[in-house]
Amino acid sequence: MNRKPHSARDFFLFAFSLPLLLFLFSCQHRVLEIPGPAGDHHHPHNYTGKKGMVVAAHPRAVEAGLDTLKRGGNAVDAAIATAFALNAAEPFASGIGGGGFMVIYLAGEDRITVINFREKAPARAHADMFSENGKIQEAWKKSHGLAVAVPGSLAGWAYALEKYGTWKMTDAAKPGIRIAEQGFPVSETFSRINKDEYEKILQNGGESSAYLNDGFPYEPGDIYRNPDLAKTFARLVSRGWRDFYEGEIAREIVRAVERHGGIMSLEDLALYSPVEQPPLEGTYKDYTVYTIRPPGSGGLHIIQLLNIIANWPVKEWGFNSPRYVHQLSEAFRFVFADRARYLGDPDFNHVPVKELLSRDYAKRIVDSILPGQCRGNYPFGIFDKNQIAKENTTHLCVADSQGNIVSLTQSINDFFGSGIVPEGDGFLLNNEMADFSSQPHSVNSPGPNKRPVSSMGPLILFKKDRPFLVLGSPGGTRIFTSLTQIIINILEFGMSLDEAIEAPRFFTYSSEGVAKSLFVESRISPRILRSLDKMGHILEVREAFDTYFGGAQAIMIDREKNQLIGGADSRRDGSGAGY
Amino acid sequence: MIKKAMKPAILGLAVSICFFTARSRESFPRFEEPILITSAGQSADVQIGNVLAKRAGLTATLSKNATQKELGDKKTLILVIGVSMKGLGAAGLDLDQEKSRVSALIDEAKNKGIALLCLHLGGEARRGDLSDRMIQTFLPEAHMVIVVKSGNTDGLFTRICEDKNIPLCEVDRTADVQKPLEDIFSRD
Repeated sequence: MNRKPHSARDFFLFAFSLPLLLFLFSCQHRVLEIPGPAGDHHHPHNYTGKKGMVVAAHPRAVEAGLDTLKRGGNAVDAAIATAFALNAAEPFASGIGGGGFMVIYLAGEDRITVINFREKAPARAHADMFSENGKIQEAWKKSHGLAVAVPGSLAGWAYALEKYGTWKMTDAAKPGIRIAEQGFPVSETFSRINKDEYEKILQNGGESSAYLNDGFPYEPGDIYRNPDLAKTFARLVSRGWRDFYEGEIAREIVRAVERHGGIMSLEDLALYSPVEQPPLEGTYKDYTVYTIRPPGSGGLHIIQLLNIIANWPVKEWGFNSPRYVHQLSEAFRFVFADRARYLGDPDFNHVPVKELLSRDYAKRIVDSILPGQCRGNYPFGIFDKNQIAKENTTHLCVADSQGNIVSLTQSINDFFGSGIVPEGDGFLLNNEMADFSSQPHSVNSPGPNKRPVSSMGPLILFKKDRPFLVLGSPGGTRIFTSLTQIIINILEFGMSLDEAIEAPRFFTYSSEGVAKSLFVESRISPRILRSLDKMGHILEVREAFDTYFGGAQAIMIDREKNQLIGGADSRRDGSGAGY
Repeated sequence: MIKKAMKPAILGLAVSICFFTARSRESFPRFEEPILITSAGQSADVQIGNVLAKRAGLTATLSKNATQKELGDKKTLILVIGVSMKGLGAAGLDLDQEKSRVSALIDEAKNKGIALLCLHLGGEARRGDLSDRMIQTFLPEAHMVIVVKSGNTDGLFTRICEDKNIPLCEVDRTADVQKPLEDIFSRD
């Protein structure tokens, strides 16, 4: 078909009609059609693989991990490659400016070990450091230099690679460098969190921050690149990771922290080292949980909760039935009371782990819970209610063809951490000092070289003697309540892996002996909420799939089908891939 | 080189864009400085509003928890709507307290003849039950509304503005809000 050439008249028509159309469509009232429901990315989806599997909070990070496995790296190599990639692709939740814990199962030795690379307080930290004239300055724990603890991620990753990996950091960092250089389209999650944390980013990085788009938050679909971070990773590769703790990057970190009123020194960085520990262990029926020890509280509280639940016929009660939600909520409140009273850095305080995990103690809690009524008056310590609001952190799981497994949770604490970026380095420094209590007499008060209590709880669940489930989640203090619900969804309510992850969640806690609101996802039915209301719970209904409740990632090992199954939480940008 | 036949077309296009801009500006009310910027819902979007006002060259005071007293000699109140549970928590407010604060502020602004400009800058991410309650409560009081398009895909802003005969300006991106701000506050 022949097309006529455009005439001058066509151009005139175009020239006058386009602005008219723009006028009609841009600034006048319009009747718009209400669109149908968005594509259901929340529908449960199980990833499958035979040889290896990676699940993490961003698809690009999953690609990095899977590529490592396919190229012969083991689970530890892939976990560290995924961790570097997450720093580039999900920079608001974790990175080299933060810390965490990893649980490793070494199939060849049939042994589980834990690497604790939790951040530490600077040597000049003290119990009153967040008080001025007797008044607690909460803002100092959020976006101030005093909020920054000595980062442990890079040292932890290096330790894991050197002891249990087969790759050099040079190789593990490559996907992260590529993602930071080339960029990726910003998701709804990234954009929303970027908007939520705008004030802090603006305050500490100005309109030219590496985490803003020409001074404004990124919109969904924008391409996010971080060339500064790519350069920093490249420097670490060429000069060695110790540069972060003893070299030019260390000096840049200290300068940035001091500029914002902090107290971290070069010596604090130089003296940082991760700790390798045996796992904490607990059982539930035929299953054994291997997880992290304090100062990570999540693992301990998951075992505690499972000990309590073992006394109840939860399957009979039914999934999210009023009785189940009530009883478990009361258990959460008792556990939070314990957390406040006993949890601190075990290097500085005695944490009565054995007593807390005893079945007798669990039975005492069970006997104290009143069916159909909120008890109130939970035994209490000093609890910092400001720790409740966090969503933050990230979790990844890797399983390789040799049977090795990594369950890794890491954080920079709040989303976008302290918002402080060492000049030109592109990575965020944590605000993990906020995980200490502001109360000077708390068992978890800040002190020189102390590690703050964390809610993290990366775990590997064994069925009889073999790994069955690899699991973890971000979500602040919701981490252990959410992970417990996921485990029970699988073991008692017979859900598939991702069904268990996507199922509606609830959360509550106690503070100073008083029951706090019961937070529920809006998918829990009004009928159930009415029953809970009658029992005395004060209900707060959140979004249907709310990041408040975390963003869990998991791998299930199905021995009968010789299959690895991955589940990734749609509350964030969870993704998985196997081969 | 521009071909002879195309010159009138390009001239016509330029003239019509000016006409379009002039019409757009005429159809919106005029606002005056000084300005008080506050939040309705304590989201960080109020900070974005402040940066936009600064870039538009406006004289504005940001007060996230503004009270009636702060209206003082102000001539425009900019309300940046969007609820953040985290922001409310940090401000020590619940949703009802926040609504009461904003209602009182708007009542005082009405008494003093202060114009109300509502901004919704957070797009789709800043919608949902809680933000929608704020929108439905306060938008009808506005003299003009500027909304980032992705926050109006269901037409909520359009419907309220139609019902109340409030001029509505929809822009593609957050940064695009600067231009209408410059226009409606321009001093010429």
